[in-house]
Amino acid sequence: LADVTPRRGSPVRAAGPLKAEPLRAEALGAALPPLLVAAERVAATVAQGVHGRRRVGQGDSFWQFRPFVAGDAVSRIDWRQSAKSGRAAPHGWFVRETEWEAAQTVCLWRDPSGSMRWRSRLASEDKRDRAGLLLLALASLLLRGGERVALIDTPLRTVHGRVGLERLADTMMRAPDDDTGLPPTLALPRYATVALLGDFLSPLDEIQAAVGRLAAIPVRGHLLQVLDPAEAVLPYEGRIRFRGLEREADALVPRVESIRSAYVERLAAQQEGLATIARAAGFGFSVHRTDHAPETALLALYTALAVR
Amino acid sequence: MIFAAPWTLLALAILPLLWWLLRVTPPAPRSENFPAIRLLADLRAREETPARTPWWLLALRILAAALVIVALAGPVLDAGRALPGRGPVLLVMDNGWASATDWPRRMQAAGSMLDRAQRAGRPAALLATAPDQTGAPPAATPPMPVADLRARLATLRPEPWPSDRVGAAAALARWNHAGTAVAYLSDGVTYGADFPAFASTLSAVGPVTELCCDGPPVRLLLPPQPEADGLALRLAQTPMADPATAAVLAQSGDGRTLARSTIAVPAGAAASETKLVLPPEVRNRLARLVLEGSPSAAGVVLLDERWRRRPVGLVAGDLASAEAPLTGSLFYLRRALAPFVELREGSVASLLGRDISVLILADRPLPEGSDRTAVTQWVEKGGLLIRFAGPRTAELPIGDSDPLLPVKLLGGDRQLGGALSWSQPASLAAFPPGSPFAGLAAPAEVKVSRQVLAEPSAQLSTQTWAALADGTPLVTQTTRGAGRIVLFHVTANADWSNLPLSGLFVDMLRRLVELSVGVAGAPANMVLAPAESLDGFGVLGRPPDAATGLATDAFATTPPSPRHPAGLYGPENGRQALNLGTALPPPVAASRISGAQVEGLSATAPERALGPWLMAAALALLAIDLLISLLLRGLLRRRAVGIAAAVLVAALLGTPPAHPLETGQHPALATRLGFIATGDPQVDGIARAGLEGLSDYVNRRTAATLVEPDAVAPGETDLSFYPLLYWPVTASAQPLSPAQAAALNDYMARGGIILIDTRGSGDGEEGSGAGFAPGAEAALRRVAQGLAIPPLAPLTTEHVLARAFYLLQDFPGRFAGSGVWVQRDQDRANDSVSPVIIGANDWAAAWAVDEAGRNPYATIPGGARQRTLAYRFGVNLVMYALTGNYKGDQVHVPAILQRLGQ
Repeated sequence: LADVTPRRGSPVRAAGPLKAEPLRAEALGAALPPLLVAAERVAATVAQGVHGRRRVGQGDSFWQFRPFVAGDAVSRIDWRQSAKSGRAAPHGWFVRETEWEAAQTVCLWRDPSGSMRWRSRLASEDKRDRAGLLLLALASLLLRGGERVALIDTPLRTVHGRVGLERLADTMMRAPDDDTGLPPTLALPRYATVALLGDFLSPLDEIQAAVGRLAAIPVRGHLLQVLDPAEAVLPYEGRIRFRGLEREADALVPRVESIRSAYVERLAAQQEGLATIARAAGFGFSVHRTDHAPETALLALYTALAVR
Repeated sequence: MIFAAPWTLLALAILPLLWWLLRVTPPAPRSENFPAIRLLADLRAREETPARTPWWLLALRILAAALVIVALAGPVLDAGRALPGRGPVLLVMDNGWASATDWPRRMQAAGSMLDRAQRAGRPAALLATAPDQTGAPPAATPPMPVADLRARLATLRPEPWPSDRVGAAAALARWNHAGTAVAYLSDGVTYGADFPAFASTLSAVGPVTELCCDGPPVRLLLPPQPEADGLALRLAQTPMADPATAAVLAQSGDGRTLARSTIAVPAGAAASETKLVLPPEVRNRLARLVLEGSPSAAGVVLLDERWRRRPVGLVAGDLASAEAPLTGSLFYLRRALAPFVELREGSVASLLGRDISVLILADRPLPEGSDRTAVTQWVEKGGLLIRFAGPRTAELPIGDSDPLLPVKLLGGDRQLGGALSWSQPASLAAFPPGSPFAGLAAPAEVKVSRQVLAEPSAQLSTQTWAALADGTPLVTQTTRGAGRIVLFHVTANADWSNLPLSGLFVDMLRRLVELSVGVAGAPANMVLAPAESLDGFGVLGRPPDAATGLATDAFATTPPSPRHPAGLYGPENGRQALNLGTALPPPVAASRISGAQVEGLSATAPERALGPWLMAAALALLAIDLLISLLLRGLLRRRAVGIAAAVLVAALLGTPPAHPLETGQHPALATRLGFIATGDPQVDGIARAGLEGLSDYVNRRTAATLVEPDAVAPGETDLSFYPLLYWPVTASAQPLSPAQAAALNDYMARGGIILIDTRGSGDGEEGSGAGFAPGAEAALRRVAQGLAIPPLAPLTTEHVLARAFYLLQDFPGRFAGSGVWVQRDQDRANDSVSPVIIGANDWAAAWAVDEAGRNPYATIPGGARQRTLAYRFGVNLVMYALTGNYKGDQVHVPAILQRLGQ
């Protein structure tokens, strides 16, 4: 399957490989049970789901009996309960009501910036491909769990059911590059769950603003930082001119080995800041390196989002 | 060493500046893409020491720059002295026949003179002193730029005729450019009496620089004198202070060497000669004699029919009296023919059993029977039958006319003079023009007193080659098939005439024998067209445009010239050779030009411009610098650098020449053949070349793998590594020392095989090698004294050696037909392998291969088949040495199968 993965930067993406991404993602998620998102409050949608709303509505679970009022359909009367009441009709008649069960909406986002289209010699896959794979695997698990999934993109289109995965992959592949590196500000459903996958190398205050906007909707969710191993350990030596991928200014480093520890410290500080931001907004935070197996990251996402 | 543009060297002063510039410019950094660049943004401030180009890289670059500057300054190594004067430089070059021997050196010297002229910016002109191919006299070119003259100089060739001193002097007299400097490349020979006039004209033109006088002596190989059993080789040369030797190769028509002879030239001698002994059959294959060394027309003598030797068979009618001195029928014939032909005697059948050119029957009738049939067949195939009359021929029965007579004879004989006769003994008439004897003087004292008479017929006059004064034929002839029958109407002794007592008899017989190869003697004044001519280097080719025909009687007196170049003249089947040495006077060393500045030819080493080499070195350094820079910037992987460096080194060193045989291994590590060094470089060279050729053949044809053969010295070399030793025994071989004999005996006792080759045998032995190695048998006996040689028997086809790889019927080498001897008794202790094989077929010469892959030594009697068989014998020998009697076991296969009940 890996062989038919679309190559980075190929101008035309054929129809065949489009199918391959969701297949690979499903294969990745096949080891995990369907994912039910933990949601105290569910986004206000009318979709049938598994999250009870603690009020009367469409659902399978019994909620309450209430006295028959004029206008109720005769077929909705629970005759057994009515008979036990022993009162005369129509005051002795009871109607059976079920709890409203709704599906949770999970909004997913993968960083489409240029810095994600990169891999070092230490990794076999670039960060964007790895993030896309994780996103689709997560979506596959969610869809199997009956949840509704949307890509944070304009327009926001929610998909559900098994066929939704392909549409999701299609949308993700066609998403244009955007070098801001942060999720766009969209009108997400309130109380939805979000999962943000990216390298989060932007300045911390920008990230904090973006996450704060999401938290204010309000939504809850998880941040996954996807890093290349070279970004994690800076394995270069000698005199090197570093060039950015998002039109940053070049950085000429005379001896890379001399600044390695400083760089690692700085990266640790960035991750610390990210964790703080996430905690403050009620989000989870984890880090994934592209030279590690994607299953570990998927498991982390699963446990972060699932019902405990 | 000088510099053509010394001012350019001032640029070396900028090198320190370059050093400083290179020092302050750090090396270009590697580039890497990196997404997390924001995190790196201000980290670089902590780095203090700036990156520096390493000092050795800096030195490399400075060296390259210095090399470029020095190369542009144009350094020239071995530059010669500047020529005097300011006008043009006139290059006068002798290109007569004497210049060919060291022609490359001459061209080099002329080139270096032109280099000097070019450096001084002077125009140059060329005057070659020999007439060119069209026969035009020498003429100087007009002064022209040196680059143009180089092209003309490159086309100049030595000519196979003398320089024209008179014409060159005339051309010099016409030269009228002021300030001329003359460079004269002399070939050291005067070419006649006009040299002083030429020399004075030359020095009148301008200051002369003469390049000469340190070369080898000028040598001229003269046509050989035929002798009884060989050729007397003659050499003329300019006298030298030290004794010297010259080697002459006798070659066959295809350029292969049949024999080699050395002429020793004593100090101060102008001529020398030696005798080359050759068996007659080999002499008939001789096509040219070549002076070994540098090729030159003066070192080539073409041999035509006149030098061929023709075996003559003699048969007498009366065997009892034939040998009697002064009266025997063969006595005068033998005396007349022995100096220039090989005589054989015996019965008709035994004589015709071998190749002979002429059969002489002295009063020997041929009655009907096997002899007559054999002679008739032989004549019709091209033999020359000469018959002498006599009492037996005269008494021939009338009814039995002998078909092997040119004319019908009248019965009985005719007596002229005598006690009872009025007539006087008849003298000879002048020889008729169509006769081969035409031109010989008929002495008046030759008288014929008795003769047989021919029956008159219409053709009788055309069949008559010699007649008496009264017109009766004395010698008649007829052709029969491809051959010819000649009848002398008198006896071969002094009974019937005193012709055998005169010198005319010798001349007549000689001319008749010359007819014997089927070449009719060309009439005296016939003009022969040039067919092939020698060029200056002695290579036969198309004759020059100016060449014209030459009358046959002028060959002995015509000196070579563009009109009559040395070479072969006449039709295909009757070539006559005009040789350089025939009519040329012996070379006389030319004196030096008076007042000339003399430089040696070899002293003028060619000027070598170092500029291009320095430039190439600078480019190589810059290429290395590029590689290193790329490596430092990380644009190249280390493996790629390794590959690039390997490619660079391979390109610089070039590919070593491939050799078919491996060399340089310890003898224990590979199988190889060996030969016992004799100390004679030529014999050892042939042995080595032969074993190389055989090893190569064995490697190609069999599964055995042999490497380069070794020369071994018994007693010093450890012989145990060699399965087979080849031992050429020369006539001068010395007896073995006890240590050597012990080593060889030990070698043989432990299974080694020695092939002893006497490389020909003495006169009168069987085989085609007879006469090539006189004294070899004695030498063999001498060297074999200390050896434990077992009883020997001739090698037969039943022997394992005859079928070890190929099935062989005979075992030829360069010679064929002589026996090969192997151990007689089977020695089970040694695996029935014969420890010694003795023969005389000169196998190494047949196996020998030179650098060009050719076989340099002709096989005798010849043919590709003989060489193939020689190689096959070699393969069998190697297989025999490697596998012992393995093949012999197959003899028992039928018996084994029978015993197994199959």
